[in-house]
Amino acid sequence: MVFPSRPVKLLRESLKMPGYKLYYFDVRGRGELCRLILHCAGVPFEDFRDIDYFKDWPTIKTRMPFGQVPVLEVDGVKMLAQSMTIARYLARRHGLAGQNDWEQSQADMYCDCVYDLHNATVDATWEEDPVKQKDLFNKVNQDTIQPHLEKVEQHLVKNGSGHLVGQGLTWADIAYYAYFTTPIMTRLGGEVLTKAPHLKKLIETVGNNPNIQKYVETRPVTSG
Amino acid sequence: MPQYKLHYFNLHGMGELPRMIFHYAGVPFEDVRFEPSEWPQLKANMPFGQVPVLELDGKLLSQSYAIARYIARQHGLAGQGDWEQAQVDMYADCIKDFMINGRPVHDEQDPEKQKVLMTKFASEKLIPHMAVLEAQLAKNGGVLVGKGVTWADIACYAFFNHATVKHPDILKDSPNMAALVSQIGSNDNIKKYLETRPAYH
Repeated sequence: MVFPSRPVKLLRESLKMPGYKLYYFDVRGRGELCRLILHCAGVPFEDFRDIDYFKDWPTIKTRMPFGQVPVLEVDGVKMLAQSMTIARYLARRHGLAGQNDWEQSQADMYCDCVYDLHNATVDATWEEDPVKQKDLFNKVNQDTIQPHLEKVEQHLVKNGSGHLVGQGLTWADIAYYAYFTTPIMTRLGGEVLTKAPHLKKLIETVGNNPNIQKYVETRPVTSG
Repeated sequence: MPQYKLHYFNLHGMGELPRMIFHYAGVPFEDVRFEPSEWPQLKANMPFGQVPVLELDGKLLSQSYAIARYIARQHGLAGQGDWEQAQVDMYADCIKDFMINGRPVHDEQDPEKQKVLMTKFASEKLIPHMAVLEAQLAKNGGVLVGKGVTWADIACYAFFNHATVKHPDILKDSPNMAALVSQIGSNDNIKKYLETRPAYH
């Protein structure tokens, strides 16, 4: 009987794990959820973020399926665009999407809600005048975030596990964590979760995940 | 057969895609439509105070694309395997982007401002991304992903079927997309639905 040598074993292991390369700018923005999912699941990937907008982007753009990022390149041969599609694919492949079709659709629903929150907050996020920024943020909070949180709290309590979907962590929980810990939220959103204690606790739970903690400690500091 | 109810305004909007997936798949559902005047009383019953909402055996799902994806998956219109399903999601998201980015253009009342917004939307999003869809259709034998129609193709149909009413030339440079729209529109179930569907608005 011949047993595989250690180098052969390591090669076999590395062949099972797909080679992921995530293209995005050196900001959190639309790419951060994908990064968090990969870190949370303990899946190695190349976090390709050193893209200078003027020097590098014009060339890289032409290789991207829709001329946009984020893009996930798998094994150097195939590409996937659209931030939510990439996040969902990674969540499904690595056990963070929900336990059955209905749960997966619930997770999709929550993540689409977070996507809507991001869209509503984008003007405030990139506003350079601090006074205007605060006004824009307060308006989004009042008109969009607070009404949404009221519903999310009800659903969280009803679900009863502390998580948004089913009994365990899904990318929906990570999506809310990502949105409520953005730089603008950290700076201006101190009171935002006051009326949402269950969501606040869930966000803390996600933040305390060892893999996420380790990533967040070393993540580049960016404005958005 | 599960008991499906779809709740939405008596409009196309974000409800039309789920409706069309049901019809294309030949799956019966209750197409619950209401007028804007009825909405204030109904809003509180919806998971996030929005529609469309899918009601399935008493459970509720909101967000039009989560609904569309769920129905498509249950009825063989989502693609085969994780990678194909992700490709389908990607192309569907492209259409969703057209709708999200086209909305402010559509809503702008001032004709001069609308012209500026339209030019920006067309040059930055609509035209380049329609070219991507067109190239993919040419490369993949007339459907976007895999070997058959998926909900991404139906999303294209729903979008362009609606858009061609106000913009009849929108597909003039996209013969493959025009062929796909025609193909889906020729489906017996879709044809039957369009005959009885309330008028465009």
